[in-house]
Amino acid sequence: MSAAAPSAQLSAFAPRVRIRRGASVAFMVAALLAIAISMIMLGALIVEIAVDGAARLFTDGGAVDREARGGGIISDLPTPAGMGWMTWAVPVAILFPFVGPRLVNALVPGLPRLAERAMGFIVVAPAAIFVHILYVRFESAYFVEYAKAVGIDGASGNIFQVLGEASGFQIVRLLLAGILVPLAIFAAGWFWSHRMRKPSLIIPAIMIAGWVVYLFMDPWFLSSFPSRKPAEAGIFSAVTGTLYMMVITAAVAFPLGVGAAIYLEEYARRNWFSRMIQVNISNLAGVPSIIYGLLGLQVFVRVLEFERSVLAGACTMALLVMPIIIVSAQEALRTVPPSMREAAYAVGATRWQVIRFHVLPYAFGGMLTGNILAMSRAIGETAPLIAIGALTFIAFLADSPTDDFTVLPIQIFNWVARPQSGFHEIAASAIIVLMVILLLMNAAAIIMRQRTRTDW
Amino acid sequence: MARNFFTLMRSSAPGATAAAEPDRATAPPPPPNVKQDDAGGGVHLDPTLAAVRHEITEAVDMALQLRNVSAFYGTFQAIDRMTMPIPQNRVTALIGPSGCGKSTLLRCFNRMNDLIPGARMEGEIEFEGRNLLDPNIDAVEVRRRIGMVFQKPNPFPKSIYENVAFGARINGYSGDMDRLVEDALRRAALWDEVKDELDKSGLALSGGQQQRLCIARAIAVQPEIILMDEPASALDPVATLKIEDLMRELAEHYTIVVVTHNMQQAGRVSDYTAFLLAGEERVGRLVEFGPTQEIFTNPLDQRTEDYITGRYG
Repeated sequence: MSAAAPSAQLSAFAPRVRIRRGASVAFMVAALLAIAISMIMLGALIVEIAVDGAARLFTDGGAVDREARGGGIISDLPTPAGMGWMTWAVPVAILFPFVGPRLVNALVPGLPRLAERAMGFIVVAPAAIFVHILYVRFESAYFVEYAKAVGIDGASGNIFQVLGEASGFQIVRLLLAGILVPLAIFAAGWFWSHRMRKPSLIIPAIMIAGWVVYLFMDPWFLSSFPSRKPAEAGIFSAVTGTLYMMVITAAVAFPLGVGAAIYLEEYARRNWFSRMIQVNISNLAGVPSIIYGLLGLQVFVRVLEFERSVLAGACTMALLVMPIIIVSAQEALRTVPPSMREAAYAVGATRWQVIRFHVLPYAFGGMLTGNILAMSRAIGETAPLIAIGALTFIAFLADSPTDDFTVLPIQIFNWVARPQSGFHEIAASAIIVLMVILLLMNAAAIIMRQRTRTDW
Repeated sequence: MARNFFTLMRSSAPGATAAAEPDRATAPPPPPNVKQDDAGGGVHLDPTLAAVRHEITEAVDMALQLRNVSAFYGTFQAIDRMTMPIPQNRVTALIGPSGCGKSTLLRCFNRMNDLIPGARMEGEIEFEGRNLLDPNIDAVEVRRRIGMVFQKPNPFPKSIYENVAFGARINGYSGDMDRLVEDALRRAALWDEVKDELDKSGLALSGGQQQRLCIARAIAVQPEIILMDEPASALDPVATLKIEDLMRELAEHYTIVVVTHNMQQAGRVSDYTAFLLAGEERVGRLVEFGPTQEIFTNPLDQRTEDYITGRYG
């Protein structure tokens, strides 16, 4: 800009300056460390390649002579899996930011830089990931067959077996492939471009998720019904029963709870009656869950004759979580500032119009958050369902709300109570599945709360 | 506790009232264009409530006529038997120190006080031959015909278009909505700034733009009266000036009642001014009402003069 047009300069908006967010120094240090360690481990990998024979790593040779090496099932597990990640993930981490765009530039010169980066990413990363997924799939299938063939209990190969039998180096490599390499990819994306920061999270997240699932269980565990043999037992009916019950619980509890909250916050006069209701809702939130189970047993199972069905369980659960939903919905309604209500009233809105078009939409995110948190409470509840008589051995899927059902906590409880150690191991796996579902729900609640927040 | 406190204050009211009116005896005799205490429409008025009301010399209809309007929050009386007119298609400013009941009075005009639990209004506000404070009058209808702009800009967290269209839509407007929105935004002097981004959130605008959006929102319902509660107090001087210009323009079509703390603003924008003051018992009373010119250049009550010249607290 020359001095010729000072007035134009004054009136123009100041150019936007990109400023690094706070706390990025710590992150940079961590990311650099991760990259450094990855490089060191890459070196170690190369040494191992030399020792073990390159063919074992880049083909399925490692799996073929597993028996010949005489290791247990677990000592073999991390090797091909870990190598698989190392084989593909490390090149991705290196190629994706640096080589990919140059490759694109060499092939199609003259593209904008952003396009080069994007296409470099498109060329390199998916190819590597695709090959890798094929590799892991093969390994996984082979591994399960192998475990069944040698007749080992708890063929799901959960983390406790892995850690119990794996060597120190294998565990380190496990951590490397599961944590450090994804972190390195993320760091590479982070430093490469401002715009790559969020997208560069995706691949590492998929990697870690895949690793976690692969480590803790084989896919059959999720899709098998319970069995007398721990190696064949799965949590299919428990997971579907849990999801089925949660959907019905939410469908019953959310409208009722939100309706009650709207009445208490927006319509009820502040008198002894509404205060009594308010106090009792708070009290109900503290009633032990087994009491709700007994109530559900009498009301839903016996009087209403729902039998020991999904519906009876869901209604009991809805009662159990209703106080939480009401209180959190009330909180959400209270966060809508009075100025919004006044603004709506001032243009001639009726009370219902104010609620319908303004208060409810602005509070809905908070209400959903509360609902999800209430659901994550319900998903772990066991006592009320045992009280209403949910079964533990369900070898079919419920097709209607009046069918028998089981849920994850009951299945876990049942397996833990068995004397055979194999059941204990699959119980641990089921607990992890339950925890992952819980964490996902809570993460969804947090994300929703962040995204629906309005700065008034 | 609060109730005891207010009860105590009320019980001490007579003495305090006497103490709060020391200038009554020494006030100069009113000139011939000033009426004293006879605007109550035949209703008996407490002599301690004496307010100076200048004669309205121009030919103007009255949009509102207040008679003995009192407002209570629970047992606390906020304003006490105010009697004055609001001239039509003019800007009337309500001035006075904090806590003198300006906003409370303004909120009586569109029954906004109904929303506050325990609030109660007495007296009469005549609007087109009907008493607005009559419980049989639909407050929703009152608010549609008497719009309001608040102290802090409070656009809905929706698009600019939706902000303006909302009022018309819920009131069953069936005409050309785009045109209504454009018209309201033009009248609020905001159209040129936002015409290309009507989908943008109302919260993304600057403070002054937000306030003009709120004015557009009020206009879109096609009210007869617009109440403004310190509409520029949260804005910078440039935005304040725009709002003031806007008020002058709007006065051609609407009756405007504006509460303000800013003497210069009242002097600049208003045609008529009412000066309110709360005594020691914190009950707001009307002290002087008349054309702004006269209130500012020739105040008849000593307290008005003190306030306008800045000698009051």
